[in-house]
Amino acid sequence: MADILVKNAYVIDPLNEINGEVMDIAISDGRIVESVKDSATVIDAKGHLTLPGGIDSHSHICGTKVNFGRYMSPEDMRAGRGRAQPYMHPVSGYSVPTVYANTYRYSKLGYTSILEGAMAPLEARHTHEEFSYNNLQDTMANTLFDGNWSIMEAVADKDLKRVAAIIGWVLSAVRGFAVKITNPGGTEMWGWGKDTGCIHDKIDYFGITPAEIIEYLIRGNELLNLPHSAHIHCNNLGKPGNYKCTLETMQRTPDLNDKRQTLYMTHVQYHSYGGSTWADFCSKTDDITWMINRKPQIVIDMGQVMFGKTTTMTADGPMEFNLYRLYNNKWSNHDVELETASGIIPVRYSRKNLVNSIMWSIGLELALMTKNPWQCMLATDNPNGAPFVKYPEIIALLMSKNYRDKEFATINQDTEKRVFLPSLDRELDWNEIAIMTRAGQAKALGITSIGKGHLGVGAEADIAIYPVLTDEIDPTSEYDKVISGFSCTDYTIKRGRVVSKNGNCLVNGDNATIWVNPKIPDNYDMGKDPEFRKKFDLYYSVAMENYPVEYEYLHRNICIETETDL
Amino acid sequence: MKIELAIKSREKPFIPIEAECITTQTFLSKDPAEITVWCGNREKKLHDVFDVSIEGKAESPDNIEITLSGDCSVVKRVGEYMTGGKIKILGNIGMHCGNFMSGGIIEIMGDADSWLGREMRGGQIVCHGNAADYPGSGYRGEKKGMTGGIIEIFGNAGDYAAETMTGGEIIIHGNTGHAPGAEMHGGILTIYGECCMPCANMDGGICYIFGTANDILPTFENKGRITHTETGQLLTMFKGDFARRIGNGELFIANYTNHK
Repeated sequence: MADILVKNAYVIDPLNEINGEVMDIAISDGRIVESVKDSATVIDAKGHLTLPGGIDSHSHICGTKVNFGRYMSPEDMRAGRGRAQPYMHPVSGYSVPTVYANTYRYSKLGYTSILEGAMAPLEARHTHEEFSYNNLQDTMANTLFDGNWSIMEAVADKDLKRVAAIIGWVLSAVRGFAVKITNPGGTEMWGWGKDTGCIHDKIDYFGITPAEIIEYLIRGNELLNLPHSAHIHCNNLGKPGNYKCTLETMQRTPDLNDKRQTLYMTHVQYHSYGGSTWADFCSKTDDITWMINRKPQIVIDMGQVMFGKTTTMTADGPMEFNLYRLYNNKWSNHDVELETASGIIPVRYSRKNLVNSIMWSIGLELALMTKNPWQCMLATDNPNGAPFVKYPEIIALLMSKNYRDKEFATINQDTEKRVFLPSLDRELDWNEIAIMTRAGQAKALGITSIGKGHLGVGAEADIAIYPVLTDEIDPTSEYDKVISGFSCTDYTIKRGRVVSKNGNCLVNGDNATIWVNPKIPDNYDMGKDPEFRKKFDLYYSVAMENYPVEYEYLHRNICIETETDL
Repeated sequence: MKIELAIKSREKPFIPIEAECITTQTFLSKDPAEITVWCGNREKKLHDVFDVSIEGKAESPDNIEITLSGDCSVVKRVGEYMTGGKIKILGNIGMHCGNFMSGGIIEIMGDADSWLGREMRGGQIVCHGNAADYPGSGYRGEKKGMTGGIIEIFGNAGDYAAETMTGGEIIIHGNTGHAPGAEMHGGILTIYGECCMPCANMDGGICYIFGTANDILPTFENKGRITHTETGQLLTMFKGDFARRIGNGELFIANYTNHK
């Protein structure tokens, strides 16, 4: 790998507290170093904005669910078609595009690491196969534990160490990265055609509540010392009045880790709704952000909705079924044996629609009313709120009150009475955007120690150089320049190689899958536990020996081994 | 302006040609020598594939007439996005003829392949031979098929004619295959011959069948006999499809057999 010297870069690197310094960055052997020889390739950044490579801490890009979205919506493939080029395969699709389209477009936006938001453990192989073609970003997979029978039985027995041991065994077996809790208990109830109400309703047969599942998974996660915290998609997504449930979940979250948050709450936009029906539906971001501002143990992502066509996909089966009854459009639902569920529906968010307009406002309010940018990540829950190609527009909306007002004038007129957005004057600066799109995400995911999200010496050389001269652009009035600047990098550098230049990919990348392997003592090894093995003998459609994902599926990979407190 | 395109004999005549450039407005705005078509995975000049002869000049697409001769049964997307003028095809034509066209006339003397006039918005297509599957329908996953204009087929049509049709008119003088008018939302579909399982899942629009409709679906409600005002023929009226939330479609049939 050739050495590179990036000269004249205007660097914002929040983790190292660098806010706008013109400096040179030396890269050798895929890492950032003090200096390189004179023979190094020189890239002139021309004073352009230079940030660590972008990180998306919640995006659905690979796996069975995404693939089902693809063959359910052939019409989606009519958009976004691109011809083959040297080092680029032909691509198509907009909200659920081909794997190559995802990786090229993310690279064009300067992203170098992505977390797949939900992977059913049983269907992990598919996710890892798609990961290996997502070749311009490092990938991680959230693993679903919301309706796992073994976990729920251990929770009913109040056996925390057993919960931790099961998490550890499954995560290392399916090469997962973190614990995802999607509508805890609700996905299991969905198997019986029901849903849970809020977090204190009992789950049939197991006799436990979602609140208990959440608490045990959070504490189990900390017992294993995993890099990322538990990652939750709360109960009651998308229902009017669900903010109470969200607040209750936040309120119950303990503060157990001094390095990072204890609970990552994803797409909180969908969980901040007031009212009791669609008729009195309104924003409750005041209560939600009040709670976030006084609870440093919580990190959220926006789950911003942008207008236009997209596809919703989640492990939350009952919610997707409710959406189907609302839209009466094509729909898919799926139950993953003993583990979780899923559902997919294509939708269109319209400016004329009052509910959609309120949703759009809520996402922005969350980002603007959360005081600490380290606690609110910029994401759309791609593709649920909008495809990730809309990120530059969201950045511009957050940076310009002017642009927000202009957009607000085009949406449903009744929105004003039900949201807070017009009263918010805050405009984020470049540093805050850098935190919300890379540094904060790296910290929340706990991957700064493997050199992600910053540009200090020893960091992985993932760098994005945007054609933006921060001194010459006034984001308030020139928001179109912000959008075009963030839409296409001058250079995206991944692990010390220029992978994308002016939007054209230059290499067949070689990505790594990051996964965790907690060191579990022998007496807690679930592989030898008779009760756990019985689940496979009696109920699973696969034998335990065939369940773990083989190494051949991983190609390049980074394994984070953790010491556990078991 | 009169343009004659005669397809040259090719070494591998089965390789499809993507000819979305063969529409009236292309010849108005582009130098004919620069127009290219894709033959399989190779891009070729139009005059390498066709003998091109051009006579006269035109100010608007309406004054342009294109004639295609030779075996064009693998030439796809002729007349795509056409806005005016005329295209006359002396033999057969390939798939997707008249995609998205909004004006003008396409006349086909031979047979047309699948997707004739798909998602058409206006204008007229006359096919003197048979048409294959999906004439006047929407492409895969698309909610709206044809929204305007007229398609007239003097021969038979294949399966799923007028699928997701939303407006305009389709007239089929021969028989059609399976499920004509499936998911129809609007417009008028007229079939003079036989068909099978018409208008499944329709929620709007009108369908006349002056021949025999086999396997009428049980989700249609028989509203009794009426006399067709224009022809004086006795027809049975059905409403449906009640498998939909709103089944506002109307089906008028001369002879029918129920689904068993």
